[in-house]
Amino acid sequence: MDADSFNDLALRVIAGEATDTDRQALEAELSANPAHREEYEQLKITHDVLCTTGPMAEAARATEPELPSYRINELRTAVRQHFGNQTAARKSPGGLISALRWLIAGGGATALVVLLVFLNLANRTVEIGLYKSDTVRNGDASLVPQDVPSARVVTFDQDAPFDQWQNQPLAWNERAKIWVDNEHDLLHVVRRIDHGHVSTETQPLAPTNEGQREQIRQVVESLQK
Amino acid sequence: MRTDGELLAALRGGDQEAWEETFRRLYPSAFAAARHPLASLTPTEAEDIAIEALTLLLPKVKQVAEFDELRLLVITIASRKAISEKRRQLADKRGGGELTSLDALQDDENIRFEPAEQVAGRLNPTDLRDLSRLLDAALSGLEPRNAEILRDFLVHHLSYKELSDKYKMPVGSVGVSLARSLEKIRTQLKAAPKLWKELVSFLR
Repeated sequence: MDADSFNDLALRVIAGEATDTDRQALEAELSANPAHREEYEQLKITHDVLCTTGPMAEAARATEPELPSYRINELRTAVRQHFGNQTAARKSPGGLISALRWLIAGGGATALVVLLVFLNLANRTVEIGLYKSDTVRNGDASLVPQDVPSARVVTFDQDAPFDQWQNQPLAWNERAKIWVDNEHDLLHVVRRIDHGHVSTETQPLAPTNEGQREQIRQVVESLQK
Repeated sequence: MRTDGELLAALRGGDQEAWEETFRRLYPSAFAAARHPLASLTPTEAEDIAIEALTLLLPKVKQVAEFDELRLLVITIASRKAISEKRRQLADKRGGGELTSLDALQDDENIRFEPAEQVAGRLNPTDLRDLSRLLDAALSGLEPRNAEILRDFLVHHLSYKELSDKYKMPVGSVGVSLARSLEKIRTQLKAAPKLWKELVSFLR
């Protein structure tokens, strides 16, 4: 078998284009001519590397699609969470101040405990954000304040104020906020976890209005434990 | 308009606007990488992977020397995640008993995804940049039509039949053309022995 015919046969097998007859022919050729086995291995490596990296190299040149506007909020939140924590870490005193910290550690710790107790007591509110139109869907209310008496339902007519509400950091007395994203069938939960740190979670939205009511009730209950 | 250097400095400081600009600039590459043909995810699945890959740049921004490294980084992250996601989906289907030929499916998974996961998972941005340049140089050394056929085969994973239809040539000739072009590319890639050795080691 000449080099062209062998390379063609080998590539057909490697690329998944071969018939059973092709595969048998290749096996026979590799057995009869062991030098071709190394050729085959090299061709396979080249194919595997380039089939993986070729699309990656091409991706560097991509200019579309645009970032979907409805995904920007979660990216903003990720930035806030990441750099919010780092900023807090940077503010930790060091050097001489670190030594002084030992002197005031007792008083500082006491103040911290008082602050945490205060935050814990004050940190009660759970807000639920919805579009006004979502409070009645298909003739059935997806959620009304009576469904979750321990939370505050906030309704919006337009995207901009709703976006603004979603992007606002939690107020000092807020424990969490929840909003329904019907476009992507997601429930977003932003909650305070500990010492002022905030976490953002999403979960798939229940498919029915009744299911959503129950889902939100359960989330609110879990947040208030 | 900020220079790349100014933008990188702003990113390191956690500037929200700089990050938004970066996400907008890098999303097309992240999305294209998440639509890696080996993974063949739906556009919605690829969008999720792309967004996740963008958020994973946040802890890495202090490790990069140039803004453009972020693009290469998001591509490697998104490709690896997309391929792993596809493999996971197939494993779930197998676990759920949705397919009859389990051995065949497992073989298929190993053949298709193992080498790709190895390469995508271990390739760093510098390797990817070097490889892109080499690949461009190697393709430009081929006859334009042969280069296009090889690009469609390697980058878009078109089958022999699809290539035959697109380029109006017999299926038998497609294989010969690809095998010859691939052999030339291999010779050129070997001109960078260090990179080639590294890539090959990823597959072992």
